Amino acid sequence: MTMAGTIRTAVAFAILVLLHYSLRPLLGWRAEIDFLLIALLLVAVRVRPGAAAVIGLALGLAADSLTPSAFGAGALAMSMVGFGASWLKAAFFADNLALNGFFFFAGRWAFAIIYVLAEHQQRGIELAQEMFVWAPLSGAVTAIAGVIALAVMRPLLEPQST
Amino acid sequence: MARAVASGIRADFGLLALSVSLSLAALALPAHLRDPVTSLLRRVFIAPLVALQSDAELARRAIVRHDADTDARDSIALRALEVPALEAENDRLRRALGLGRSLGWGFVPAEALHSRALGEEYTLTLTRGSRAGIRTFSPVVAPEGLVGMVETVDPTMSLAITWSHPDFRVSAMAADGSAFGIVKAHLGSGPERYLLELSGVQMSATLSPGTEIVSSGVGGVYPRGIPVGTVIGEVKTSEGWARTYLVQPAVKPFDVSSILVLEPKRVLAGMQSVWAGEDSAHRTVAPPGDSAAHRGGIIIPRDTVPETPADSADAADSGAGGAGGGAGGGGRGQP
Repeated sequence: MTMAGTIRTAVAFAILVLLHYSLRPLLGWRAEIDFLLIALLLVAVRVRPGAAAVIGLALGLAADSLTPSAFGAGALAMSMVGFGASWLKAAFFADNLALNGFFFFAGRWAFAIIYVLAEHQQRGIELAQEMFVWAPLSGAVTAIAGVIALAVMRPLLEPQST
Repeated sequence: MARAVASGIRADFGLLALSVSLSLAALALPAHLRDPVTSLLRRVFIAPLVALQSDAELARRAIVRHDADTDARDSIALRALEVPALEAENDRLRRALGLGRSLGWGFVPAEALHSRALGEEYTLTLTRGSRAGIRTFSPVVAPEGLVGMVETVDPTMSLAITWSHPDFRVSAMAADGSAFGIVKAHLGSGPERYLLELSGVQMSATLSPGTEIVSSGVGGVYPRGIPVGTVIGEVKTSEGWARTYLVQPAVKPFDVSSILVLEPKRVLAGMQSVWAGEDSAHRTVAPPGDSAAHRGGIIIPRDTVPETPADSADAADSGAGGAGGGAGGGGRGQP
């Protein structure tokens, strides 16, 4: 990635992180849009898998600092999702909004499953509900938001040469 | 070329292994090592973002309240003084003010920010921190009773676990002292997840539905006499040596927006008469609030209601208006 491309990606990343702490609480939905995950996937498909895992670790640790009892669970989930996303980018990094939407959906669902299993705070029906009801719903709204974000940020991420 | 590709793949998997290892190490960290790390991360990276989140939540409340205000204005046109939303808010603020007056001193009022994100269902972010006098393990209370306990404290913010957190425990007793036990979250499924259970009650003690449960003061974290809930019924367990009761919590954490954090010296001083005297205290401030709000048969916006001395003291203490100010009462450190 060129220096200009790196800066553009960093700006998009920062915008998405800000949205996570501004638009998400403003909406207040039970099935939340995970802008941090969108930001991670956006970066992951542009870097090597190892770098994506490290970025996921850093992002996850920062986010986990608000939930000390599950500190590390988000980092673990984001590292694995970031690595997986970067690894699979050849398959999914097509200029197809539906594929990108599925990419966000699967990423958010995988994140939630790894997170709830790692944090060890839910069990039984509650765990099943989180994994198979709320996580897919959150994945769906994250996918929609991710596709919209990609469409809106396209001029920023992929400027057309004139 | 092939060697470079293989080297790159090895590096990628090495970084993944490192990331996973660090994550697992973070998960396994004991609390005394974990808390300084999380505190540092919060202070360096998250504090500005939490401030942004706080503003967004206030904006959302304003948007949600805007609809309620519009409805209330419509109702006023039809039914003069019968404004349910305003009456409910008055009642909530009167109760908060009454609790503040009953406590008198040794508490810190704060706003509780909610998040429904994964792992944050059972925690509250409080808008005050160690600079305001909040310490770890301080009880968090609302006018209705016990909300939870401060888990970690930063200079400008704190994190508290609510009673619904799996790790929450409080030594409790029947209000008449006829039975003692430990109250913890009832880890059932569905709506039952948001109930409490009183376990370890001796077999000879039988509690009837409706019995009030309060903190017993044993253990030193929670002072005696804070309402915890009311008994719903007995739960049949395999334990043959003790009874377990299902308890309806006194406080619904999702409805809590203004809370009081008790300071250690206030905990030591005890508060058995605080909740018993809360009703009378809030009755004393009710008439001015009502008369101001209903003066001349019209509704006066909250900002224009004349301040009582308690309101002024609280505004000076909290430094931020809104509902959080109303919970302040006399403010902290006023013996």
